[in-house]
Amino acid sequence: MALLEVRDLCVGFPVNGRMLEVVRGVSFTLEPGEALGLVGESGSGKSQTALAILRLLKRPGRIVSGSVRFEGSELTQLDEVAMTRLRGAGMSIIFQDAMASLNPAFTIGTQLTDAIRAHRTLSRSAARDAAVDALTRVGIRDAGARLAQFPHQFSGGMRQRALIAMAIACQPRLLVADEPTTALDVTVQAQIVSLLAELRRELGLALLFITHNLDLMAQICDRALVMYGGLVLEEAPVGPLFASPRQPYTEALIGCVPRLSDVPGQLGVIEGAPPIAGRMGPGCPFEPRCQHRIERCAAERPPEMATADRRVTCWVRAA
Amino acid sequence: MTPLLHLEGVSKTYQLEDRWLARLRGRTRRLAAVSGVDLAVRRGDVLGIVGESGCGKSTLARMILRMETPTAGRITFDGQDITPLSGAALVPVRKRMQMVFQDPGGSLNPRKTVRRVLGESLGLAGVERERRAEAAAKLLERVGLNADQLDRYPHELSGGQRQRVAIARALAMNPDLIVADEPVSALDVSLQAQIIRLLMQLRDELGLTLVFISHDLALVHHLCNDLVVMQAGRIVERGPPREVLHQPAHPYTRLLLEAIPRVRN
Amino acid sequence: MSDTVRRPGTLSALLRRPAGLVGGALVTAVVLAALLAPWIAPADPIAVDLAAKLQPPGVVHWLGTDQTGRDLLSRILWGARPSLSVGVVAVLIGLLGGCGIGLTAGYYRGIWAQLSMRVMDGFASIPLLIWAIAVIGIVGVGPVQIGAVQFPNEAKLALLIGLFYMPPLARVTYGSALGEAASDYVRARQSQGAGDLTILFGDVLPNCLSPVIVQATLLVAVGIVVEASLSFIGLGVEPPNPSWGSMLADARGFVFTGQWWMSVGPGAAISASVIGFNLLGDALRDALDPRRSVGSPAISGLLG
Repeated sequence: MALLEVRDLCVGFPVNGRMLEVVRGVSFTLEPGEALGLVGESGSGKSQTALAILRLLKRPGRIVSGSVRFEGSELTQLDEVAMTRLRGAGMSIIFQDAMASLNPAFTIGTQLTDAIRAHRTLSRSAARDAAVDALTRVGIRDAGARLAQFPHQFSGGMRQRALIAMAIACQPRLLVADEPTTALDVTVQAQIVSLLAELRRELGLALLFITHNLDLMAQICDRALVMYGGLVLEEAPVGPLFASPRQPYTEALIGCVPRLSDVPGQLGVIEGAPPIAGRMGPGCPFEPRCQHRIERCAAERPPEMATADRRVTCWVRAA
Repeated sequence: MTPLLHLEGVSKTYQLEDRWLARLRGRTRRLAAVSGVDLAVRRGDVLGIVGESGCGKSTLARMILRMETPTAGRITFDGQDITPLSGAALVPVRKRMQMVFQDPGGSLNPRKTVRRVLGESLGLAGVERERRAEAAAKLLERVGLNADQLDRYPHELSGGQRQRVAIARALAMNPDLIVADEPVSALDVSLQAQIIRLLMQLRDELGLTLVFISHDLALVHHLCNDLVVMQAGRIVERGPPREVLHQPAHPYTRLLLEAIPRVRN
Repeated sequence: MSDTVRRPGTLSALLRRPAGLVGGALVTAVVLAALLAPWIAPADPIAVDLAAKLQPPGVVHWLGTDQTGRDLLSRILWGARPSLSVGVVAVLIGLLGGCGIGLTAGYYRGIWAQLSMRVMDGFASIPLLIWAIAVIGIVGVGPVQIGAVQFPNEAKLALLIGLFYMPPLARVTYGSALGEAASDYVRARQSQGAGDLTILFGDVLPNCLSPVIVQATLLVAVGIVVEASLSFIGLGVEPPNPSWGSMLADARGFVFTGQWWMSVGPGAAISASVIGFNLLGDALRDALDPRRSVGSPAISGLLG
């Protein structure tokens, strides 16, 4: 049975009487232990998809339609109590800004043990041991002493590690990481990514890794979804995605990432700007910026065409 | 050829001790944000300054623009020693160096339209009132925006558009030097590429001298013809990108290069 | 992609909110009462008519009469003047001093900021009412003569209260100015050679206005209450000139004898003014922020 099954998920924000849709029909499956990358730029809906899965959408946003099944149960029907039990224990999320995710007024130890005791009935000292364990596992030395420190006494990379420790402390089956390394230096970024890979191996954790950094995603994920304008435009295993991208957006995106292997000065560019929710036409959201567009692209939303290991949403290019 | 900008032994040390009693007793903690930097930028150069957070690159940028005074060393701009200058004497020099900031949201006054921002800058650059509207439209065109963006407020523009306006504002002063501190780090990948291409065009068309600060080595590889790597306030390696990035000598540079995610094939 | 952006004016943004509508209506009513009192008041507010004393609201005197037969409706309308003038003038004095201090402290920082903020803190620690009573008690009640112009006693009130408005306004301005002065767009202006005063008034101040305006409208409300309080104890508006506070003082003797109209009228007037200014302040703060334009995704903050 798949760990996570998302079918036709639509997320919207009611504004001034209209429903502004930011996720417009996203479907994918995640098997236990698998690492799936969700790639996209601003306005693609990737973060909202993740928040919707954990039912953490900021009001007035809500799931308009679609289904999210985690280990068989339909999450969109669950009440808040059941959802709270699931969060942290079944699935966890870590965000980009570690400082904002941690309460500056409490020690790391307090926050970690609180998270642990929320899901497991442990005495305070047993929870403390579990906390030390969790911190050590994420590579923080002197975990015992560190428990007494406050978030501002940790460096950016360590804070992110502490967050990861909190997220995995109750051994969830799924970890959602929403741009966890965007605010970090490149050396720290590499460390965090290898930590996540390690944890995956050790705990059999499934990972939903959300980022705008294609190359980084490729370090850790097996498969990738490319999102744009609230839709999934392409899904493929990472290798074939980079080797032969089918969807024009994927191809263009891969082309405009600067790399040391490029000829200096030759940088691919996508003209125009990402779409704004609520201001998109009926057709393909990428159409205004696409080199390969035909008339049909603006008029009708393209269908999803799937082969054995790929999905492409396009009128012009098939899987 | 004498360099346009020349830094010799430039350092900046901050006193950390806030409690005046401790300061009185001579007990202070010092933070050396920048130590002993030597740098030369010739006209038409695009210099890249790379390093991770805390390496001092932003402090260095502020010293070049004389928004901060070095605690040691000398900064020469177009032959003039600008280190001891302050106040009114600094104004004519400052106008010849402009800055583009990282955060497109914070670098434009949220209550001013694009027209006003550019108009004020043009005014300070000495353009007469009647000619400002036309000049502003030309500036926007040059950075790839069209004139109907003139009456927009910053929050009505996308991040990439705001950054273009920030570049237009810098160009309005017709500066000799532009210092760009991580100008694309806050932008989406596709918009980053657009802004980098714009900077490349301005470099080629206007012969712009640019100091480009970034943590992204690949961007520096595309844009710059000279490069320094900073670590903990010091320059640890320098040279043209094709040498430094492809045959790094210093272990820190190698560390940075190794940390760049590479696509598995 | 150039689509015309609908940017509603401040007024319509104000009226769109219930707080703005109600607050605006109340404040307008008070202002109109103050301005048009000489023309819309049915009777002379200080005309004594002992034959008509202590009459309940009726056809002739819509809100009744007080113990000397003066028409209460006229007195309430005229009473808006001292309340409003003290409230507004005090705030203006406070804004002038307070914002000036706060702006310069936030922009220049250093010793000036430390010194001025500590002095402001000191002032703020003294309760306004006690201080006002003490000063007026010492200086005495009576009109003030400056050159050829004679100011009524309320002028002293306005000045005193205004001085005491400087600390809160300075603090609010200082907080915003600190943040704005450190922002990139101010640095950009500095690097372009714009003068300090230009930057202070053109860039920093407009972005500090939002909290200042809210505070200022709240302080107008406070001023109205302080004026009423001082008039209540006889240190404010001198009789027989009408003031809601002194009217309440007159009414005190008649609460238990059943002449409810003497206290309800001025009491309601004070409440309505205070509520009106508070609501207006809240609504103004929201309406003045150009970032909250309708039509563009106001949810962009939510989308991140």
